[in-house]
Amino acid sequence: MPKGLKICLKVLAVIFMLFTGTFIIYIFNLDMKLTAAIEPWLLKHYDRIPRDRHL
Amino acid sequence: MAKEIGADRLGDFYKAGSRVRKRREWRGVKDTMYDYSRWLKIMMTLGKFVMKPRNVKAMLRYRWMANYLAVPMMVDRHTQGLRGEYLRMCHVEQDLIIDDVAKLLDNLFRGDRRTGNDTEFSKKVVLVDENEMTAVMMGFPQLKCLSRETPSTYVSVLLNQHAAEHYLDVAQEFGLAGDVCPMPAAEAGVSIDDDAPVLGACAIQCNTTCDGSLLGNGVISKRLELEDGVPVFQLAAPLRHREDDVQEYAAQEIRNAIAFVEKHTGVQWDWKEYFECAKRVNYATKCRQEWLDMNRTDYPQVFGSNLALYTETNYMAICGRVADFEKADRKLSKLANQAFAAKKRAAKEYRHRAIIWGVQSHYYMDFLVWLLNCWGIVPLTDMLSMVSTKMIAEEDTPENREQAYYDMAWLTENMIMRNRTHGGYRVLLDELWDFTQQFNADMVILWEHMSCKALTGMHGMFEDRARELGIHLVWVGHDLFDPRIISRQGVRDQINNYMRTVMREEPIDPSLEVLPDEESW
Amino acid sequence: MPVCGLTYRECEKLKDLKHFIFFEDLLMEAHNKLIKQAQEEGRICVAYTCENTPEPLLNLPGAFSARLRAPRTGSMDIATYYLTSFLCEYSRALLERAIEGGYNFADCIITPDGCSMMNRCVENMELLKTLGKDKEKFFYEYMEIPMKSDQNGLNLYVLQCKNHILQPLHDNYGLDISDEAIRKAVAEHNRVCELIRAIGEFRRGPRPTITGYEFHVITLATYAAPKYLLIDKLEETLEELKVREPDEQSDYRARVVVVGSEIDDIDFIKLVEDSGAYVCADRFCYGSFPGRDPIVLNDDEDALTQICRQYMQRGQCPRYMNTEKMLSRRQYVAELAKEYEADGIIYEQMKFCDPWAYEKMLGSHILRNDYGYPVLAVDRPYSIGTSGQMRTRVQAFVESIEIKKIQGGAANG
Repeated sequence: MPKGLKICLKVLAVIFMLFTGTFIIYIFNLDMKLTAAIEPWLLKHYDRIPRDRHL
Repeated sequence: MAKEIGADRLGDFYKAGSRVRKRREWRGVKDTMYDYSRWLKIMMTLGKFVMKPRNVKAMLRYRWMANYLAVPMMVDRHTQGLRGEYLRMCHVEQDLIIDDVAKLLDNLFRGDRRTGNDTEFSKKVVLVDENEMTAVMMGFPQLKCLSRETPSTYVSVLLNQHAAEHYLDVAQEFGLAGDVCPMPAAEAGVSIDDDAPVLGACAIQCNTTCDGSLLGNGVISKRLELEDGVPVFQLAAPLRHREDDVQEYAAQEIRNAIAFVEKHTGVQWDWKEYFECAKRVNYATKCRQEWLDMNRTDYPQVFGSNLALYTETNYMAICGRVADFEKADRKLSKLANQAFAAKKRAAKEYRHRAIIWGVQSHYYMDFLVWLLNCWGIVPLTDMLSMVSTKMIAEEDTPENREQAYYDMAWLTENMIMRNRTHGGYRVLLDELWDFTQQFNADMVILWEHMSCKALTGMHGMFEDRARELGIHLVWVGHDLFDPRIISRQGVRDQINNYMRTVMREEPIDPSLEVLPDEESW
Repeated sequence: MPVCGLTYRECEKLKDLKHFIFFEDLLMEAHNKLIKQAQEEGRICVAYTCENTPEPLLNLPGAFSARLRAPRTGSMDIATYYLTSFLCEYSRALLERAIEGGYNFADCIITPDGCSMMNRCVENMELLKTLGKDKEKFFYEYMEIPMKSDQNGLNLYVLQCKNHILQPLHDNYGLDISDEAIRKAVAEHNRVCELIRAIGEFRRGPRPTITGYEFHVITLATYAAPKYLLIDKLEETLEELKVREPDEQSDYRARVVVVGSEIDDIDFIKLVEDSGAYVCADRFCYGSFPGRDPIVLNDDEDALTQICRQYMQRGQCPRYMNTEKMLSRRQYVAELAKEYEADGIIYEQMKFCDPWAYEKMLGSHILRNDYGYPVLAVDRPYSIGTSGQMRTRVQAFVESIEIKKIQGGAANG
């Protein structure tokens, strides 16, 4: 197999894998599921920050 | 899972107790790939945003930043069930708004004393209200006109229905009555909670929409001006904006505001830039008029949240200052004309033509999209989209320079919402029925914000007039920012009950009638 | 409770004022007997609803003003249908009374867009055609009033008064709106103000010779009835007060300034005083500060401009939004408290009042934290009656002031 074709196939494979990976994240809403898991941790963090709370 | 409009049971995507939906919609190969590509773009915008350390620092400092985790979900909510041109229109608008808000956040944190602390940049920043026409900044291209309230409260509630609750509790903890409008109350809460970025050479506040908003500004300016040392100008726009004898006062307020900005920034007003912005304002007005004309026919195209959310942003917050929005206007018009020529429709069935009357109808829920998908009620237009249609002077001449003050004043007086809630009953009550006729609407959905005194103060007259005219008037009570008062399902039930008991109809998509989304963003 | 076992009012030893019942009677009806008398004398009644309407302009020769009240309000069901239960009870009580035909005595109504609720109240009156029965010349006028105290605001104020008060009164009723006529109205207005101010002076000192309740009734009458018919009674009352013997020992346990939204319900001040707090100064709509400040005119400038300037500069309405005005509002309260030797301040707001909801929150914190006064913040309905809840709160406040006095002021915040 010529080297150029090999590189092309590799690039295509990477693109395909990237596409498949991101598309799975997209269609199964995995991005939102992940951030939903992060949110409670963030809220607890905000509660711990000292604030100068006044009018 | 299908290409056709209305093929999916959209309610099945929800999961009880979850913040997010089970999966995204399959809209056929072409539309799914398009939606996927837009999702990728949003992810890249967000990725670019978090690459900057100051933005990460801000994410960990400001509670309201957590809401921005839900950006893709907001887009999903507003694109539910859409296909073809309608899906594209929604993305053209929403993606641009997201981009604009990301830039706003980035600039805020760049100048913020707690995060970026770029003092030179901060000297070029003029802070404005969230509900304020930015007309007065049209001639200051060298300055950054930034609103702290837009990302902290206004956009946050679009992203996450629970976003304002913490700040409302803070304000009430300090003795604020629970019956005032939750929008300015939440903004005051952000200030009290020490959760607003601190920056700027000066600030312009406005007596934007209501008494609550005017007074809420007092809470914010107390801290901003007296403690943070940012001088504040209060721009008082007349309430009786249709009267000739207030226009000189309004124009003088604009002159004073410009002089204030010049004094505190050292930057001079640029007439050339002003008239460039004025051209864009007129173009946006022309496009909006065309879309509204289409909505008077059997084939409305730019309607619902596609119209409402975009008008609010473009008309009020942008006000001709960002060229990208002119491009978006063109794209939207092209898509709308294309769909109109092909006599396309956005949903499986159009049963009722409705006008939505009241304040923002897309806070804490996707009400307008839901109306269409669940009951086939087409939200032809809404109160906040019925803003000024007056063309302003756009040629740079000595006469027009004088006229420009009156034009800026006119725009400021006719900001979204206040152009209807103030100015006498004619603009709120009488003109509604004119619009109902013009749009050939058979239904008015009175989106009654319970804490909006100017709106609820006409409750009985709305009822009486609708009865006289024989128009279906559906009352939908809500509390704008606080789903603990009236939940999303509480809102939906008001429509469901009317449609079932008065109209004797069955929903187009029964899965949407009751949704388990109390915990959802 | 005082040692005698009665309420503070009941055990009061001050001798009754000769005209007090007369003043009280005037407040029992919106259409009181002096309004009837003035109209029989051929004067026209200009109704109004907001303190930002310059009063002297409504009292030009041939006219008199009556600020609308709804005494003895009961059910507000119909007004609640029109305005919903989310609007303040003052606006609802007025609309209900208007629907009942209670304001048909008025010959016109002039109202500024002071707050949304009052604006909607009067608009509903107009839409429902509740006023002006059998009065061909009746008119409604709405006016814009400034939200900032500056030159631009003054120009607006003057223009609006010309277009929405003077011109309609002239066009419809032929009233003289000349500078001379305005000056005459100011002179009469000032006479009433001077009398009220002088009567109010008797609230000073450890042994006041007038109760806060009495003063409130007398002041309120000057808003609700034609002024020119009250002057002789006010003069007599002032003379009476000069020789009135104070109580040997006051039963009041604290002196307070009451600050907030409109109080035209005489029971509120009575309840506060019955709970042991003497109301030594009144900074609320329908009160005397700043409502009964005389208007000082010079000959160098037209009277209208001078009236508007003084109304704008002295105005304590929370709708004034510029920073200087906001700061001066709290300063004004602090100065009143100091001048009248108050032990504490009661911030009150009518429920659902947006402007005072914010002002009460800010004012109560600032007066407490920056000026060191004990502050009670309450919201209340339009007609308080004999609310047990309010009584308990005021009593607790009075006790907390007493404890602070015992502990030297610093303890317990």
